[in-house]
Amino acid sequence: MILQTLAVAFFGLVAVWFSIVVFRTKSMVRSALALLGAMVALGLLFLALEAEFLGVLQLMMMATEMSVMAIFMVMFMMDPGGLGQMEMTHQKKLSLVAGIVGGLVAALLALLVDWGALVQAQNLDMPERQNYNLGMEIMGRSMLIFETAGVTILVSMIAGTLLAIVSRTQTTEGQE
Amino acid sequence: MITLIIALLVGAALFGIGLYGVLSQTNLVMIMMGVELMLGAALVNLVAFWRFLHPGAYSGQMFFLIIMVVMALEMVVGFGMALARFRAKGSVEMEEAVELKG
Repeated sequence: MILQTLAVAFFGLVAVWFSIVVFRTKSMVRSALALLGAMVALGLLFLALEAEFLGVLQLMMMATEMSVMAIFMVMFMMDPGGLGQMEMTHQKKLSLVAGIVGGLVAALLALLVDWGALVQAQNLDMPERQNYNLGMEIMGRSMLIFETAGVTILVSMIAGTLLAIVSRTQTTEGQE
Repeated sequence: MITLIIALLVGAALFGIGLYGVLSQTNLVMIMMGVELMLGAALVNLVAFWRFLHPGAYSGQMFFLIIMVVMALEMVVGFGMALARFRAKGSVEMEEAVELKG
């Protein structure tokens, strides 16, 4: 239990530190890599919280997602390395106040709410049993939600592709 | 109890940092990073609640999967819009997107 608490605290601190780096560095590529670091720390935090499947899923998915993000950063930015020290922020004071207030309210809620009796580690399902139960949940009670998520992914893939491709009329106009 | 509180505090910190990022950044991709952090905070809270309050209810893990889907969709639509904007205007700076104001 103490080891678990220490692991959660350590990976939590790493995640928070990396997420601060995301907005402190001038380099966009470093920002993407720092976000990758934060997401990896979160994946390890989930592993420490004994949610093995979710932890591994987080690690696999975020590694791919953040690599894609870094590639897009290089594509879109004139100065992805941040060598020109371009200013990329606005309304800094307001954002800082909103961020601190939002974080503090969430932290106060966590501290002030009575969470009742907590479940001890020995009452937890083994990882293979967790996977089985999650599968039964997906294929049973939550089937409709899961199917809806699948269809939504398909629709957004089509919408994303349509947004990204050059339309034929634009190309013809461009050639003319 | 302390582990749950630590996890929730990490979630609160990530939410605050994400909110700061969303409001302060001018680049569309950086704004998306802030949103990712806020969704990451939601993930931390969901896993902590599932582990310490209702480990027998797998709808908590299901909710986690739905948030992951939302993260992926945000990336797809965001990058689709970013590509369209970059092709049209040569930049994804939101300060320059004044014509999108209602």
